[in-house]
Amino acid sequence: MSPASVIGAGTVVRGNVEGEGSLELFGRVEGDVSMSGDVLVAEGASVLGSISAAKISVLGAVQGDLRGSEAVLVERGARVVGDLSAPRIGISAGGLVRGNVRTEGEPSAAAQRRPVAAAPVAHRPPQVALSPKPPQVAPAPLPAREVATTDAVHLVARSKEPERRPPPPVLPSLGKGAKGKKKKDRDSDD
Amino acid sequence: MAGTVIGEGLSIEGEITSDEEVVVQGNLRGKLSSTDAVSIGPSSVVQADIAGQSVSIAGQVTGDVSAPERVDIQAGGRLVGDVKAARFTIADGASFKGAVDMEV
Repeated sequence: MSPASVIGAGTVVRGNVEGEGSLELFGRVEGDVSMSGDVLVAEGASVLGSISAAKISVLGAVQGDLRGSEAVLVERGARVVGDLSAPRIGISAGGLVRGNVRTEGEPSAAAQRRPVAAAPVAHRPPQVALSPKPPQVAPAPLPAREVATTDAVHLVARSKEPERRPPPPVLPSLGKGAKGKKKKDRDSDD
Repeated sequence: MAGTVIGEGLSIEGEITSDEEVVVQGNLRGKLSSTDAVSIGPSSVVQADIAGQSVSIAGQVTGDVSAPERVDIQAGGRLVGDVKAARFTIADGASFKGAVDMEV
């Protein structure tokens, strides 16, 4: 309906921006942004205020809360200081976030618990959490750790098994006699 | 391509400063200043003082307008406020109420 609005790189807006349609930010906004469509905070752009929109993509810097009715995507190189809330949240590798993350509008209780646990997001950036499926988005980092730990457990368990097997070398000593062979057979049958 | 476009559905309440071309097609209340050209589109409603290298008005503007180069009110445009510019044109069909200072 309306042409996309653009705040150019050389432009500073001090005040609130709201409206319909989408908005691309290359410059600086000191105030709140509220759009019915999508908002793009491009690389080099900065926003000092909260943003609410259908879908918010951030490649620049935002100091304020991000509220997306559809999605919030924090891309590589982005810096966000503020809370994120949306049904879908994606934080790419190299995107920095300091704040609480909540995937809202999800019936899954697990999807709501995990983000709370994941609140200190500072160490998340190295992990890619870009996922189209909402329930997996925020939890993604944690399962990754769990997998890592369970793998470690398996590795430990496997490494212990060979250690338990070495005792059987006792068998060869038993195996010197004929009885030992019979025992071996019994053991292998068991 | 214009540097900054305030689209039709957009409302800004506050101050805009820019060093590139600014096109306003939406609503603006506050202040607008640019070192480049400023264009106020036909559908826009602006309640702000406007300063630009040159200012073209096709929408409704309430506020003072100043430009070192020129100010043009297009047909259908409406300006209530004072104008300060080296050149100033009012097109047939435009409406204007205010004082003019052409730095004579």
